[in-house]
Amino acid sequence: MDGSLVLTPQSEISVRSAATERNNSLVERAKSGDRLAFSQLIEANYDFIFRTACKWTGKKSDAEDIAQEVCIKLATAIQSFDGRSAFTSWLYRVTINMVRDMQRSSMRKNKTIDAFTLVHPEDDPGGQEEATTAREIWERVNALPDKQREAIMLVYAEDMNHAEAAQIMGCKEATVSWHIHEAKKTLRGLL
Amino acid sequence: MNEDDKMTDQALSSLKSLRSVQPSPEAKKLALNAAMVAFDAAQAGQKKAAAAKPAGWLSRWKLGAGLGVPAATAVAALVLLPIGSQMVATNNPIDTLPPVGGDDVTIAATETPVEQPALRVEKTDSDVNLQTLSTVAPETTKPAPVEQPKMAAETGANAPDEAEAMSDAIVTLPEAAPAPMGRVTMRQAAPSATADMSGAGYAATQPLYVEGDTFKSFDENRVKITSEERVSTFSIDVDTASYTYVRSLLEDGYLPDPDAVRLEELINYFPYDYAAPTSADTPFSASMTVIPTPWNPKTELLQIGIKGYVPPADERQPQNLTFLIDTSGSMDEPNKLPLLKRSFGLLVDQLQDDDTVSIVVYAGSAGVVLEPTKASRRTTILKALDNLYAGGSTAGAEGIALAYQLAEENKLENGNNRVILATDGDFNVGMDDPEDLKTYIKTQRDKGIFLSVIGFGRGNLDDALMQSLAQNGNGNASYIDSFREAQKVLVTEGGANMVTIAKDVKIQVEFNPALVAEYRLIGYETRALNREDFNNDAVDAGEIGAGHTVTALYEITPVGSGGELNDPLRYGSAPQANEIAADDELGFLKMRYKAPLGDTSKLIEMPIGRDLVLDDAMKAGDDPRFAAAVAAFGQKLKGSAYGETITWQQITDLANGAKGADVDGYRAEFVQLVGLAALLSPDHSAGGRSKFDDPTLPQNRNLGAPQPVN
Repeated sequence: MDGSLVLTPQSEISVRSAATERNNSLVERAKSGDRLAFSQLIEANYDFIFRTACKWTGKKSDAEDIAQEVCIKLATAIQSFDGRSAFTSWLYRVTINMVRDMQRSSMRKNKTIDAFTLVHPEDDPGGQEEATTAREIWERVNALPDKQREAIMLVYAEDMNHAEAAQIMGCKEATVSWHIHEAKKTLRGLL
Repeated sequence: MNEDDKMTDQALSSLKSLRSVQPSPEAKKLALNAAMVAFDAAQAGQKKAAAAKPAGWLSRWKLGAGLGVPAATAVAALVLLPIGSQMVATNNPIDTLPPVGGDDVTIAATETPVEQPALRVEKTDSDVNLQTLSTVAPETTKPAPVEQPKMAAETGANAPDEAEAMSDAIVTLPEAAPAPMGRVTMRQAAPSATADMSGAGYAATQPLYVEGDTFKSFDENRVKITSEERVSTFSIDVDTASYTYVRSLLEDGYLPDPDAVRLEELINYFPYDYAAPTSADTPFSASMTVIPTPWNPKTELLQIGIKGYVPPADERQPQNLTFLIDTSGSMDEPNKLPLLKRSFGLLVDQLQDDDTVSIVVYAGSAGVVLEPTKASRRTTILKALDNLYAGGSTAGAEGIALAYQLAEENKLENGNNRVILATDGDFNVGMDDPEDLKTYIKTQRDKGIFLSVIGFGRGNLDDALMQSLAQNGNGNASYIDSFREAQKVLVTEGGANMVTIAKDVKIQVEFNPALVAEYRLIGYETRALNREDFNNDAVDAGEIGAGHTVTALYEITPVGSGGELNDPLRYGSAPQANEIAADDELGFLKMRYKAPLGDTSKLIEMPIGRDLVLDDAMKAGDDPRFAAAVAAFGQKLKGSAYGETITWQQITDLANGAKGADVDGYRAEFVQLVGLAALLSPDHSAGGRSKFDDPTLPQNRNLGAPQPVN
């Protein structure tokens, strides 16, 4: 996965900081009304938004709809980004909220199975089985309550630590741990 | 980590291997274009807002000759705007709008003039036109047009007869405003404005639910067949947090998540006038009544009311209170830390000079804020409270250990040693694992230091954890949403909430299958116990405080009433060995409790005689009928499988007829809540569509409320 998009501690800090810096300066300029900067910002982050949405919905068409709504929303929401968190974590939150809102309003959450488009890297027969397993797990996780699902997806699918997930979910680390704990309790025996 | 955990962990880590597909370039292009349109609209709105700002409250709007848009079109354009904006407009003194069409008429906003522009409408003889749109909306990121048309729309709505006059009117631009912005731009702005207001752009209507708070989910108690399961066992629960939470939501126009509605907490919120025990030897007494069920003519409602002993004032226990206060950044809201300070101030006022108070905070500024201080030094305590501020990250300090340590150092052998945790939901008190935290609290409880939890605010409340912490700490969980509620929790019921008179109180009811065909316990789902737990002193249960009242309701179906939900079995069951022929008892009530510091339980038992049955609810006192009304309200609110047929109006009537003296006005307030719930989730018979009618919502819960983006 693109280094600029994953919140990784220390190790990739230099890779990240270049992208972060670029994002931050674009954000600043966009906030003050720079049209070009805003368009560059969207251009640069669209894939990240789409991929996040795709992972969370499991459906390409939904992910595209969500990505578009996020882009529209950013036009106004950008003003409320205050730089306290990294732009990508903030964007993550906006995207996840949008996913949730959309699933609420259309209840597409339960209808994703036939259109599942997440793919597994290995296409060889051996990997096929693994892909099926991963998909089944994804479906189990998707059925969890929102907060638990978010915590699990961030920590396991996005490989973040609890502190990073907490930042995105806008809660404290202990709360993330608690959601994970609860989720595992539910999942235990099902996986 | 055990084996199961490892497997779960391993399974979950395979999620990492999932990859998303590539976005299609067309979709990307579309999204970019849409974003730019929205951006332009937002910028246009912002510039206007900024430009209009210097004009201040004197900015004026004029409808006037210009683009030549016919009035009908202008009105249609205004109608496109979100309904929400009109709701906001009720703050404007539009009601005082004089008839439009006179010579210069100026209406000035009375409050916050900066945000509420004066409206000046002038009559001209020119053609009907909508020339321009502008607003003064300083410090807002919303596109300007959202604010402005509400005025015009409202004007139209309030003066429909004046339509002609209005169409003649002109809106003048503020002097400093930039060039007029036409209707086209406004239309462009509208979609993004809608998206902004709904938080998503999908939700067509205003959302009915808020989110962010978590609740333990549970299934409603089902009807039990007496001959199959004669015994019903549960732990008492004196918490009332659920009612306060539900109230605060309804008052803001939201429906609560069904899991947030715990019927027993709704019912127990209200004071009932049960007979109190006269001596400390029996810490509580029970009174019972059976009345016809308001929502089902074929069943009856058994009410068990328990009242705790109230020790006379001179027997008052000395208090050793340690406040453990969450001062993390999230507490920095008017209904959190500031309310907390005033609430605890109230509590401090109640204390006697010999009582002790300590204050520990957790967050960035973790530590002891106030060393154990005698309540005689009230000003010192209040000053320490007052100096608290919310801020900083979560240092995860050993807040809780510190609090218990202070309580321990200062422990009173025959007093009330208690840690009072006040938070908005984050329990980052130094222990990450909630299980560890519970165990720790249990250990402390066994040492004689109890824990009460008070929740503040909304949006982050971890209700489930709050409940379980308080239960493990032999305390209760309350939720304070207003100063009034603080007064109820900390002053009116202060004694009950702070002084435990009996612990591990369990209730077991055995029903007589000869008279009761089926029964159902209303509420207490989260407090259910196994039959064998009743006699097992190792099993923890609820506490009862001085003067507490606890009410439990059973809906019972008498044999032969025709109200049974289950068909009789084809084959009879073998008679029980020690069965006694009792046709004058509906059942038998047993209660177990321990003294606050005792380890062995004592038993209180009494038969539930047939003579308790009243054929008319009006023959019963106000209390049983009011409790029934609250149960009906809760059931309806959570979409219960039982009692959905009763209408809001019937509940209102029932409650209205059972208000009694209602000294504190809680019952009158309840009647108003029923009215609010009826508005938010109208009855079918009233022609309304409730959330239960919506086939697109399988769970009928958690409809998307806007989540702030940051």
